Amino acid sequence: MKIFSCIKPVVDPATRLSVNESRTWIKTQDMTFVASEADNYALEEALRIREKHSGEVVVLSLGREEAAKVLRAGLAMGADRAIQISDSKPRNAAEFRVAEALARAIQKDGGADLVLAGVQSDDLGTGATGVMLAEFLGWVHATVAIAVQANPEAGTVQVERELEGGVIESVELSLPAVLTIQYGANQPRYASLKGIMAAKKKPFDVWSIDDLGVEDNDALMDIKELAIPDKKSRVEILSGTPEESVTLLVEKLRKEAKVL
Amino acid sequence: MILVITEHREGKFTAHSTELIVFAQRAGRDLGMPVHALVLGSAGLDLDGLKTAKIDRILTVDEPQLTSYDPDFYLPAIKAILDRQSSSLIVGGHTTQGMDFMPRLAALLRRPLAAGCVNYEKVGDRLVLTRQVFNAKMNLKVVPKGQGPALVTIVPGSFPGDEMETGGTPEVEAISVDLTQVKPRRRLLGQSKAPRGNVDLSSASIIVAGGRGLKQKENFSLISELAEALGGAVGASRPVVDAEWLPREYQIGSSGQTVAPKLYVAVGISGAIQHLVGMQNARCIVAINKDPEAPIFKVAHYGIVDDLFKVVPSLIKLVRDLKG
Repeated sequence: MKIFSCIKPVVDPATRLSVNESRTWIKTQDMTFVASEADNYALEEALRIREKHSGEVVVLSLGREEAAKVLRAGLAMGADRAIQISDSKPRNAAEFRVAEALARAIQKDGGADLVLAGVQSDDLGTGATGVMLAEFLGWVHATVAIAVQANPEAGTVQVERELEGGVIESVELSLPAVLTIQYGANQPRYASLKGIMAAKKKPFDVWSIDDLGVEDNDALMDIKELAIPDKKSRVEILSGTPEESVTLLVEKLRKEAKVL
Repeated sequence: MILVITEHREGKFTAHSTELIVFAQRAGRDLGMPVHALVLGSAGLDLDGLKTAKIDRILTVDEPQLTSYDPDFYLPAIKAILDRQSSSLIVGGHTTQGMDFMPRLAALLRRPLAAGCVNYEKVGDRLVLTRQVFNAKMNLKVVPKGQGPALVTIVPGSFPGDEMETGGTPEVEAISVDLTQVKPRRRLLGQSKAPRGNVDLSSASIIVAGGRGLKQKENFSLISELAEALGGAVGASRPVVDAEWLPREYQIGSSGQTVAPKLYVAVGISGAIQHLVGMQNARCIVAINKDPEAPIFKVAHYGIVDDLFKVVPSLIKLVRDLKG
């Protein structure tokens, strides 16, 4: 099976994020980029399917050096080759543009049997890109997958989806298909030293987004402002040493909230 | 016209559908636009509640292909509705179902999707939509542009369903859509509830829940000890369960259990929206976290911004002393 695994580079969520000067996105300069967490589960799932059914796993990402970095990490984890779509534009909120670019690159590479992506990204976190990608490819899709069983002989894939309230839905899709993979669907492997060395010799293509026939969608939505929300909340912060704050807390819970 | 795509499950409208109506009623008033509610797969569905809503029209499509949700049939059905009457704003849920077809619809129409909205304001004649981004730590305000509909998905809990305006007499219009040409590519094999085990947190009156801030599995004993001292139950956020520190049945949040105890103590939980929706109705919420910007403080009543490894042992000792 030929499987694409899409990876979004995001500013490391473990670092302290701040708003940029034009208040349109976070500061990205000098920040460390990593693969968006859910995309690691997608890549792990792709590698497991390949190990079971043979074939190849192609990692795909859009962006500049940050995209090259997450692709190299994907190759080190075990993907066979990488395609970077270079794009000089800032990408912040443009899921639309990302989805179309990924779809066109997949088509240019001759299509695939499966395309996997993380259920949502660590930055925008809306889970839209994978689903849009399916529409641009004209393929069937399933979101929030926690288990994937490919059956290439029958031309199908069986997927368990995690819905609200702990409901698990089982669906069978005809291939080719796009799946978005839920957090915790598997345990992503770490890259071994051998994997990191081998990654350096693997094919790595760089295509320009301008050559892929992606329409300019900048006119669709303006970003007005990115802001840390006002804490108009009701919270009462109890300060002091740990002993002082917990004493105050217990007193409040007993006398004010009356829950102890 | 504002088109609300309602959601239903097991023959009933979801509570979130009412919240979508509330958003549409307010946006409709601000923009001077009528509100139409679309019900796909309406056969056998009780429309009485929806009929009392102060909206202009209820559109029903009850083709057999729409009885169970399938995006491949939803999309052409919605497209057919839009071809009959154009819409300025298409509203869907920011749910596993809404986010399963709204992005596809946006790509199909080549129109913008503002996914994950929690609020809006009207500036001039435009809607400025507030989206929750970066794990609910930041808000992104966006303005859809251009000719044609804008698509939005609304985060559950953003617009209280009990604030729906009633007293309307919407006309119900049944519309037939030809879906016979659509080839099925997806087969529903079944649905099941994940096993809950013996852990039913929904009836616990005190819950102590731990998150990623505990750093490793061994440290989770702090949570159990505090829960025991308080006479409460143990819960966890998703990362804890994903890391297999605790089985899935302890998970609180949108893909786990929804709880509303008397007292909820969140320890080392940053408060992703998926977690908040599962516990924000607790009567009293205490958050212990060293990050003062963690979203959990937005829903908490009392907060301690400090190292949990110092605070929790003190708290355990104090509670034990008081009880002992």
